[in-house]
Amino acid sequence: MIQVSNEGPKFVVADVTITEANLSNSDQFKAELVSLLDQHKKIIILDLQELKYVDSAFLGALVSALKYAISQKLDIVLVGLRNDIRDLIKLIRLDKVFKIYNYPEEAQFAVNKF
Amino acid sequence: MQSSAEKMVFNFDNSAEKLVSSLEYMLGYIAERTPAHVDPEDILFRSKVIITELLTNGIKHAGKDHTRFDIEIDNELLVIRKTDSGSPLYLVNSRQTAEDKKLISADPLNSLFAIWESDNHIRFASEEGSLDDFLSFEQVMEHFGILIITRSADEFTYTWDKETSSNIFRVQIKF
Repeated sequence: MIQVSNEGPKFVVADVTITEANLSNSDQFKAELVSLLDQHKKIIILDLQELKYVDSAFLGALVSALKYAISQKLDIVLVGLRNDIRDLIKLIRLDKVFKIYNYPEEAQFAVNKF
Repeated sequence: MQSSAEKMVFNFDNSAEKLVSSLEYMLGYIAERTPAHVDPEDILFRSKVIITELLTNGIKHAGKDHTRFDIEIDNELLVIRKTDSGSPLYLVNSRQTAEDKKLISADPLNSLFAIWESDNHIRFASEEGSLDDFLSFEQVMEHFGILIITRSADEFTYTWDKETSSNIFRVQIKF
């Protein structure tokens, strides 16, 4: 469901490989994300370009994983969002807590400056 | 809603595997009937997130029976109604006699309210929170279903129909 595609000193780029993220896979998604944080101890740049459908259960899992990342003094950064998923995130104001970039390279540049 | 409104009924079997195909079927119906004077992108985005959350709610709460969707559309309104025979929403029994508006959830990003219009009829409302109150990321809530529908709709209500033991969620979008 999540595959590491690139790694730098401060970050890991992780690609979400599913197209539908909803109630049926949100628990597994959160578990994989938390495991990735534990394993690498780096900021996760989560590439969501394959995702076409998300629901509130997925967004809840994402927030829960971000809480864990923050507690570990890490972060989860979002890239590659479709317009409608970005609009949904803005609708419930989660763009105030997630850093969002268009492309992984843009996020890597920003993360390296942290 | 005018008498010339187009109507459709769709029965969802509450299985997660059929969530996307059910969503696409209902969105297709709406897309074909959206009036020419309306921005289709806006209506389809709002319809998509609303129907997704209603389907997810069906999977979580509607039990073994199917969930019925009624969609009505005319030149002025889009109405999406979801009916199921699951247990009534917990809010039905929590009306406070002195106060008809109750805060359901709040964090620095959003507040969500239930407003009782009668004992078994609730309207939802939301407000943006103040980021000045942001003390800890731990405060951010993790349940967004009702909030997403409330924000996307012009009106979102819930009715517990005692006679038929049905939950009725009704969402209205004005064109």
